[in-house]
Amino acid sequence: MRGRPLLYTSYQEDQSLLNTWTKKLMAALFLALLLIAPFGIVPGLGFLGDNDWVKLMSQVFIFAIGALGLNLLTGLAGQVSLGHSFFLGIGAYTAAWLGGEAGGALLGEGLPMWVWLPAAAVVPAIIGLIVGPTAVRVRGLYLAIVTLGLVIIGEYVFRNWKGLTGGSQSGRTHPEFQFKFWKEGTPLFDFGQDATIAGFQISSEVSTYMLMLGFAVAAVLVAKNIQRSRTGRAFQAIRDRDVAAEVMGVNEFKYKLLAFGLSSAFAGFAGALLASFVGRSIPERFDLFLAVQFIAMIIIGGAGTVSGTLMGAAFVLILPRVVRDLTDWGAAIVESGEGVLAWIGDLFIATSPDDFGLINTLPGVGPGLSVDQLNGVLFGLLIVLFLIFEPLGLYGIWLRIRNYWKGWPFTY
Amino acid sequence: MTPPDAPTPTTGYHTIAARVRDWAERSPDAVSMREKDFGIWQEYTWAQFWDLVLDAAHGLLALGVEPGDRVSIHSEDRPEWFILDVATVAIRGITVGLYPTNPAAEVQYLLSDSGSSILFAEDQEQVDKWLEVSATLPKLRTVLYVEPRGVVKYDDDRLVYWEDFLETGRKHRAEHAGEVERLMGEAQAEDIMTLVYTSGTTGPPKGAMLSNENAEFAIDKIVNSPQRIPGGGAPTPDDEILTYLPLCHVAERVFSTWSVIGTGAKANFAESIDTVQINLREIQPTVFFAVPRIWEKIHASILIKGQDATRFKRLMLGMATRAAGVIGRERVANGGDYTAKAKLLDMIWRPLVFRALLERIGMRRCRYASTGAAPIAPEVLEFFLGIGVPVYELYGMTENAAVATGNWAGRMKLGTVGEPYPGIGLRLDGDTGEIQTKHPGVFMGYWNKPEATEETFTEDGWLKTGDVGVWVDGTHIKIVDRIKHIIITAGGKNISPSEIENKLKTSPYIREAMVIGDSQKYLTALIGIELDTVGNWALRKGIPYTTYRDLSEKEEVIELVQQVVNETNEQFARVEHIRKFRLIPKELDHEDGELTATQKVKRSAMEDMFGDLVVDMYGPKG
Repeated sequence: MRGRPLLYTSYQEDQSLLNTWTKKLMAALFLALLLIAPFGIVPGLGFLGDNDWVKLMSQVFIFAIGALGLNLLTGLAGQVSLGHSFFLGIGAYTAAWLGGEAGGALLGEGLPMWVWLPAAAVVPAIIGLIVGPTAVRVRGLYLAIVTLGLVIIGEYVFRNWKGLTGGSQSGRTHPEFQFKFWKEGTPLFDFGQDATIAGFQISSEVSTYMLMLGFAVAAVLVAKNIQRSRTGRAFQAIRDRDVAAEVMGVNEFKYKLLAFGLSSAFAGFAGALLASFVGRSIPERFDLFLAVQFIAMIIIGGAGTVSGTLMGAAFVLILPRVVRDLTDWGAAIVESGEGVLAWIGDLFIATSPDDFGLINTLPGVGPGLSVDQLNGVLFGLLIVLFLIFEPLGLYGIWLRIRNYWKGWPFTY
Repeated sequence: MTPPDAPTPTTGYHTIAARVRDWAERSPDAVSMREKDFGIWQEYTWAQFWDLVLDAAHGLLALGVEPGDRVSIHSEDRPEWFILDVATVAIRGITVGLYPTNPAAEVQYLLSDSGSSILFAEDQEQVDKWLEVSATLPKLRTVLYVEPRGVVKYDDDRLVYWEDFLETGRKHRAEHAGEVERLMGEAQAEDIMTLVYTSGTTGPPKGAMLSNENAEFAIDKIVNSPQRIPGGGAPTPDDEILTYLPLCHVAERVFSTWSVIGTGAKANFAESIDTVQINLREIQPTVFFAVPRIWEKIHASILIKGQDATRFKRLMLGMATRAAGVIGRERVANGGDYTAKAKLLDMIWRPLVFRALLERIGMRRCRYASTGAAPIAPEVLEFFLGIGVPVYELYGMTENAAVATGNWAGRMKLGTVGEPYPGIGLRLDGDTGEIQTKHPGVFMGYWNKPEATEETFTEDGWLKTGDVGVWVDGTHIKIVDRIKHIIITAGGKNISPSEIENKLKTSPYIREAMVIGDSQKYLTALIGIELDTVGNWALRKGIPYTTYRDLSEKEEVIELVQQVVNETNEQFARVEHIRKFRLIPKELDHEDGELTATQKVKRSAMEDMFGDLVVDMYGPKG
């Protein structure tokens, strides 16, 4: 109720997505920021207008969709899955088959996006439903192993079904983002081309960014609504104790199945978007590492929360870029050799083969770690640290800050 | 929206039932009541309220209730309390309220004394109390219950489920349309509308008869008093009221039922007395009444939570509390209003601490708060004034429909109960200093107790309140004590124990204090500690304890209380010093008979129960 945020006179109010005026305003401002960011006109965040940043952010949106799926399954329903990349792969190749160039060497039907994109969600969902019942039988570690098996089987099939995937050497191209009615030659709108809309020049990167943003917002709404509905509560009940949930009248079989189905749908959708966004993919793209990346996203972000998952996806994708930029910046200072910063930086960054340092920026093998290796180490370290110190992830940090002020001037 | 007009002669006396009907006509879709059920606040509009009242009133008629019959309500606060109360008044019956904490023996006394024919016992707990004594109550024909859990299994055809009762009412309403309206048209000013049983610190409770006119007078004087609220004006339909104290007490009747029905404000029923602080936070009432015990509890919880806070928060809270002290003193010296200095301090500390603090205790939107029904420590009032709760002390009693004195906005004096309401008769007896009142709110007498009634009035027809008061500056009244409680020491000195007791109770560590010393050489006290605060203190000091009794017997705790006693003694003359004290080994309780239903200490019961402690302090009588 207005002015009395804790006075709920209906369940609609109680469960509304943005229950206070402040939250509505903040959500609107954040969305507005994302909408204008790629034009590079946000003060202090002008770099977001660079083409590579626009692309990076588009990838963040795609990964966020996939991570939201895993969050439903692992974060909300508590079913550990190492097989997320398998479903991304199925989504990607479903899209490729249906939307890929017809009459080429590889399978392809040349259907428009409104066919292949939904199909990329439906087909993995069906496979998820088939796999789901195993989760009713096995739990925890055993479920992790079962899903790990999926990735291995998946990778094998993808590698050897050369008619669909093109095999390990060449891979295959994926359908482009184009609005078409059917198989006509000129698309209604082509996200691969620069365009002019209402007198504005929109580059292909920016229009793709907008498309991905739209999908991500839709995915967030779907995930949030699942989470706050009866289904979401059933998932959480199963996560907290499946036996107790069943005693309370939650149909364990049905909801575990549903969790796998929904999660796979998100994953397949994200897989199709990712493959088409990159343009060409090889079967090895959908390996265990990709699955671990998704797990990292929900752990670092905060398992079980939508906003945490978004933060995690952004963090995991943006961190390598930031580390690279920082190292380059550091190396530049060290090479200039001036000031205290250069002296400190010299201790950590190796700029010549005989220099001592933790990181090197030299091409080829040198002393210390390359930037990519450093990123790998940082990831491992972050997952370990988050699990030990902040199991709720980035969202937990936010929660702690919020609770500090929520309790003001008391502690509880 | 304006409050309903004066009574129109054709419709009978303007009872509370007529007022509800008026609101239902005037603003049928406005919210009248809210009750928290299944986690959300379910709303009743005025039209729904009135509709249910009609159903219930016809239901009562169907049960054979006639004008003047008594309908007892034994329940926590809930919409059905309001509905049945108004329905009873509508058909010219008499409502009798029972405290939910009343044990079976008292239930028996109250039901038989009032001669009730209908009982509303909300749940299994209250039904069981009636069942225990039902054999002695032949006049009681029907018992209504609203919580079927556990009760449905009982095989007793006197038990009727509330919904079935309403269904009977609806049937009766269809067959005898206009019957309730006809009875309402016959309502008289002197019809008794309710019996309010006094708490009975001495002797058994007595049922004070309040008439329609008494209620009307209380609504006119207290609820619609123009001086009451800062900025002037009575409550409006936009005001939110939290209903949580027992409705059988005259104070809650005035500040809930009659306030809501008199001004169209919204009643929000707290889930239970334990959830008051949570419900307060949800509702953020704009007009709030509490007994001193509640104010003390809120004050203590702020202190405890403050001590448990992290370093920075503790620092801020400490500074804010000091600022609140200054603001409180400035406001007290200025009749309750802000001075320039107080306003300045408030402007600094409100955004930093006070606003959040007020939100936490549910007083963020409070524009008028009051305390009454028992004396309150001035320090507590000063604190709440300091953080920005406009709280005023009132005085009244059941027998005068709570109309006696009140502190007005901008004219309050701390430590007094305020000025008499304009246009009422209020005087102090020349010899004893007893406060006496005479006005249309004075009750009709005690139910079936003509001698007791006679004793309560002076020869010239003034109500004897039994409270001794003195004039302060010729305008305000300060209550000294109950006449019966005044202690005369062996040295012949008159001492008011409650003044000392209240000083002691200012300490957050002390919950109950009873000063003793009638015809003794010196004063002593029985003191009960506050389990929450002392427990928290012991935890902090690393003193292990198990039970209340164990905690009371700890050396350190006795020392802690000794300190409080010493501090209190410094503020009094030598003869009023407490020389010895003992901590009572149990928490006082209504069910064990040490407290009345309104949590007042029963002196006689205390002396019986803890007589050995008293003897211990004075030594064997030689």
